[in-house]
Amino acid sequence: MSLASALKTGDVTELPSRRDEDWRWTDLRGLVRVLPESAPKFDGQVAAGPFAGLADGEILFVNGRHVSTNGQGEVMALRFVAATDKTSQGASYALVVEPGASLTLLESHEGRAAGYVTDVALDIAVGEGASLTRIVLVDDDAEAVDVVTARVELGAGATFNQTVLTSGARRQRIETHVAHPGAHAQVRLDGIYLLNAQRHADQTTVVTHDGVDGVTSQLTKGMVADQARGVFQGRIIVQPGADQTDARMGHHALILSDKAEIDAKPELLIFADDVACAHGNTIGALDEEAVFYARQRGIPELEARAMLTEAFVGEVVERIEHDGARELAAAWVAKQLGREE
Amino acid sequence: MAAVKETIDTVAALEKYEHGFTTDIDQEFAPKGLSEDIVRFISAKKDEPEWMLEWRLEAYRRWLELEEPNWAKVSYPKIDYQDTYYYAAPKTKEGPKSLDEVDPELLAVYEKLGIPLKEQAVLAGVEGAPRYAVDAVFDSVSVVTTFKKELAQAGVIFCSMSEAIREHPELVKQYLGSVVPTSDNYFACLNSAVFSDGSFVYVPPGVRCPMELSTYFRINAKDSGQFERTLIIADKGSYVSYLEGCTAPMRDENQLHAAVVELVLLDDAEIKYSTVQNWYPGDPETGKGGIYNFVTKRADCRGDRSKVSWTQVETGSAITWKYPSCVLRGEGSSGEFYSIAVTNGHQQADTGTKMIHLGANTKSRIVAKGISAGKSTSTYRGLVSAHPKAKGARNFTQCDSLLIGKTCAAHTVPYIEARNGQSVFEHEATTTRLSDDQLFYCQQRGLSQEEAVALLVNGFVRDVLQQLPMEFAVEAQKLVAISLEGSVG
Repeated sequence: MSLASALKTGDVTELPSRRDEDWRWTDLRGLVRVLPESAPKFDGQVAAGPFAGLADGEILFVNGRHVSTNGQGEVMALRFVAATDKTSQGASYALVVEPGASLTLLESHEGRAAGYVTDVALDIAVGEGASLTRIVLVDDDAEAVDVVTARVELGAGATFNQTVLTSGARRQRIETHVAHPGAHAQVRLDGIYLLNAQRHADQTTVVTHDGVDGVTSQLTKGMVADQARGVFQGRIIVQPGADQTDARMGHHALILSDKAEIDAKPELLIFADDVACAHGNTIGALDEEAVFYARQRGIPELEARAMLTEAFVGEVVERIEHDGARELAAAWVAKQLGREE
Repeated sequence: MAAVKETIDTVAALEKYEHGFTTDIDQEFAPKGLSEDIVRFISAKKDEPEWMLEWRLEAYRRWLELEEPNWAKVSYPKIDYQDTYYYAAPKTKEGPKSLDEVDPELLAVYEKLGIPLKEQAVLAGVEGAPRYAVDAVFDSVSVVTTFKKELAQAGVIFCSMSEAIREHPELVKQYLGSVVPTSDNYFACLNSAVFSDGSFVYVPPGVRCPMELSTYFRINAKDSGQFERTLIIADKGSYVSYLEGCTAPMRDENQLHAAVVELVLLDDAEIKYSTVQNWYPGDPETGKGGIYNFVTKRADCRGDRSKVSWTQVETGSAITWKYPSCVLRGEGSSGEFYSIAVTNGHQQADTGTKMIHLGANTKSRIVAKGISAGKSTSTYRGLVSAHPKAKGARNFTQCDSLLIGKTCAAHTVPYIEARNGQSVFEHEATTTRLSDDQLFYCQQRGLSQEEAVALLVNGFVRDVLQQLPMEFAVEAQKLVAISLEGSVG
């Protein structure tokens, strides 16, 4: 049951539906009645991506096909571009970070068309003592269906940092699976979703602690307005023997409209006793007193609300290690909230 | 330091499952297995009206179409529903008119369990001690209900379900199945078809029930299942506190307990429902035997400003599958759920609650404490949801899990669904083991390791224990200590 297998076979009954427990809030089967035809090879020119200028090199996929790989370095851009209206595409990419190496991956999913269906699968191995920072910016069309699944395996002492920034799609799922069989792994898994209109975004994470002394720190913040729907599913599994695991998960979200919806499932599955695990989840409206305070000082209401929301998600932006990416994330948040200069 | 003294005494008095005795009592059974005939048999045994039989048969037909749920984090061999007695009752002559006519063997059982069935026995205690009325359910039938007269003076109806069907059909017809519909889920549906007895409570408008009500469930017969059904109706502005206790003998075979509890609350009513569940948990070494506790409990806060509070201490059962829920329909209604789930040996518990906010300004609070030791698994599974109309809904959830030993597991699976912009949901959960520092500190001061564990665990569950009525709190504290016996070292 996955979008990838449905795209392969063309059989819509392969799509995950509400009946699948892990997809209960992201129903693809009920939405996609017929799969659009497969996207053609794209011959045109693709404009520069959002991370242009920050990366040493670029790996480009257009309409599900690998087009080019240019340059090499410690900061790489990985782009998935959907360029043709009402088509479907599936892409997969495998990445290995050699032991001791360090890589910043600036990944973008760019909707340059309307109503497409896309599936991206990433297979990432981070070697012993290596470090990977993955910044994912998802900019989909309002009518798109997009599923991005990353499977990350960490060697002993490896570090993995991730921040996902998304404005949603008609139906969207960003799924990350992290496993660390080795000891002393460090994981940071963050996300921001800012949704309006009828957009939907689902951030699902599964962290499996197999090795001892792993540390996971997770923080996802979001805002939904209009009729949008935000979904957060975080699962932390601590396997028998994975002692001294320290895992913390936080999901905090704002609902700004009575027609919007947030669904959350922060799960802890613990099979070892020498651990410290915790999760926190809060959902609510903006603090009306803070809004009032700002208005009293002459800030128009809409701006005050945007300002407070920006500050609310700012904590996640601050945790991005890469300077350029952090600035870009801050600018992206401002733009989503209509606060661009 | 009274608490410490008490804990030490408790630990000193530790013994294995103390309610594990069986009683050889002359009993009457329905033939083994389940069919329409058995349903008819049970209904006939209870002398039920036609409409009740129809209700049961309808449930049975629906049950045949349902599938057993498998989403809970529990595993057990497939249950053979044809290999169980669905009706077992102590043989009586005519139906006892007073306590004197009840089989003395049976009375001895309750004495051994420490349940006061004689009204004067309750009064014999300290002057001014709280009294409580008891409905004693033995296998499939209610044996005796105490203090009925005194309660009737206040207008409170407290009787067995079979009696309620005969004496108060209008109330039963109106409310039975209105909170948990017949085909709500597999086990509730099975219960609707074969339920044998249980308690019925009706508290009229404006009445504060003059004493605590309680039901004591005992499974005794071999290979039998217990299917009780409880219905409590709190009319406008009334209040009732209800306690429930359960035990069973030690046997190598698993026994099924599938109960349904329905609470109905009208305007300004309040129900406090406390459970101390201590069914036989199975052999701690081999995991053999024990009760399968598959229970559906739900409160429907229909009235504005009504309030329901579930408190449960779950220490028994081989498998627990139980989610006492609150449907917060009335404006300003509130629901509370306080739970301690202790698992040891090979026990598996998947328990939690559902808080469904439908009305405006509804409030709910969840405090769940799970303790796993031995090779056991304990899961908190909960749902908090707010409907678009539930403006101003407020929820606070706290679930903490404590792990004792390397081979146990503790899981937290909360679902949160917020559908309007004016509600506030907070949820926090932690999973840790007993702190070495604290254990060391206690042992340094002369407590043995087991005493230290009992003391720390009691501190961990204190928030919930405080919610229990006095007599139960003491009992529950002991139970928690006993359940954890042998889990350290």
